[in-house]
Amino acid sequence: MSLDYVKFSNGFERFMPKEYRDMVEHGPFGKKVTVSQMGSFKEALEEHPMCAGCAMTLFIRLAIIAFPNPEDTITVGTAGCGRLAISQAAIPFVYGNYGDQNGVASGLSRGLRLRFGDKPKDVVVMAGDGGTADIGFQQVLHSWFRKERFTTIMLDNEVYGNTGGQESGMTNRGAVLKMAPLGKKFEKMDMLQMAKVAGCAYVATVVPNNPRRVESVIKKAVLIAREVGSTYIQAYTSCNIEYAIPTDKVMEDAKTVENDRYQFTEYVSEEAKQYLAERYGYKEFLPKPAAAIPNKA
Amino acid sequence: MYLVANVNVEICASKSCKLCTQYCPEANTIQYSEEMGKEQGFKYGSAYIAVDRCKGCALCVWVCDSLAKNNAIKMTMIDQLPKAALTDNITYGDKSTTAVLASPMVG
Ligand SMILES: Cc1ncc(C[n+]2csc(CCOP(=O)(O)OP(=O)(O)O)c2C)c(N)n1
Ligand code: SF4
Ligand code: SF4
Ligand code: SF4
Repeated sequence: MSLDYVKFSNGFERFMPKEYRDMVEHGPFGKKVTVSQMGSFKEALEEHPMCAGCAMTLFIRLAIIAFPNPEDTITVGTAGCGRLAISQAAIPFVYGNYGDQNGVASGLSRGLRLRFGDKPKDVVVMAGDGGTADIGFQQVLHSWFRKERFTTIMLDNEVYGNTGGQESGMTNRGAVLKMAPLGKKFEKMDMLQMAKVAGCAYVATVVPNNPRRVESVIKKAVLIAREVGSTYIQAYTSCNIEYAIPTDKVMEDAKTVENDRYQFTEYVSEEAKQYLAERYGYKEFLPKPAAAIPNKA
Repeated sequence: MYLVANVNVEICASKSCKLCTQYCPEANTIQYSEEMGKEQGFKYGSAYIAVDRCKGCALCVWVCDSLAKNNAIKMTMIDQLPKAALTDNITYGDKSTTAVLASPMVG
């Protein structure tokens, strides 16, 4: 619901639903909130049934805080653990059949552009590794090849968490899971490379043990998707249950995995760099003065 | 009974780094109040927990012990907390929240 269309008329504030008033008066609607202000404002996300200490939950929480315009954002999800939380936020959530999230988001983002013109409406897909790299694979790839302008976030817990531990394309080779007792026989899929080949304008990996970095990549991905093209974030969001990680060790696990196979990487296309610099003042993407570039005189 | 996180205001207020708030997986759960430490003479405010939201994962204990190096959070049986913050008793100000503490035991 956008503040541009639903305005508070003087004297009628109290007739607005409390949840909406909270978001406007004490929450992120209509103003900038940052990760460093957490604990001091009312978050759009509310209670949900995801497991205690789940890193995916933390990532979703941070991602929603990082949305540049939460009141003009629509999230799209699919079967899997994440939707249990994403659906419990004061942000419209669209849920379809398992794996159709990028097809739904393509239609949605096109429809919103027809309806609202150049006023940005951000569409953000958040789906599991199974939903993204296995069941939704062809829709994901097609949306990228078609340069559909929305953000795809993979919540990569390296397993089908919601259904009790089957291997996914993103599970590591050799991993033994409850429903993959012989160990996975193939390598983890390289979805990052595929995103680049398919022409995504922004591709990043992130781990939730660095909240400010999560904030920064989500902001960039959503802004770039407004005009430049598809953006992809792959986040390691461990599953305590299927990988038997004690909940107070979840961040230690994240650090270990970050050092092992989830180092921070960020690819930004030249067009996206220019757009971020010119439209949103990102200094790091301003063209470097010629003298600063070695061997390129 | 079950465990929930409990912030020791005296210890937290000496540092008040707000790190735990950024790592709790649950939204609107670890809150921050600028008054909470100050009314007891401390320079900064303190983090506190909306215990009805806490799922008892102890991730915040790890954050305070290992990242903040301040050991201000302990897991505590909910019926051993004298008074605690509950979501309904929290109000939001411009830069901080205020909690009226009450018995966490409902009914
Ligand atoms: C068409 C269809 N097939 C199977 C299912 C059952 N199902 C629900 S969630 C899920 C797996 C989810 O795994 P993933 O996408 O990796 O997300 P996670 O739960 O690990 O976050 C499956 C197979 C379904 N809902 N719909
Ligand atoms: S099953 Fe795993 S991924 Fe799903 S909510 Fe629980 S810990 Fe998180
Ligand atoms: S991490 Fe510890 S010191 Fe920092 S705000 Fe939380 S309780 Fe206080
Ligand atoms: S124990 Fe877990 S749910 Fe409870 S406050 Fe700490 S981090 Fe949050």
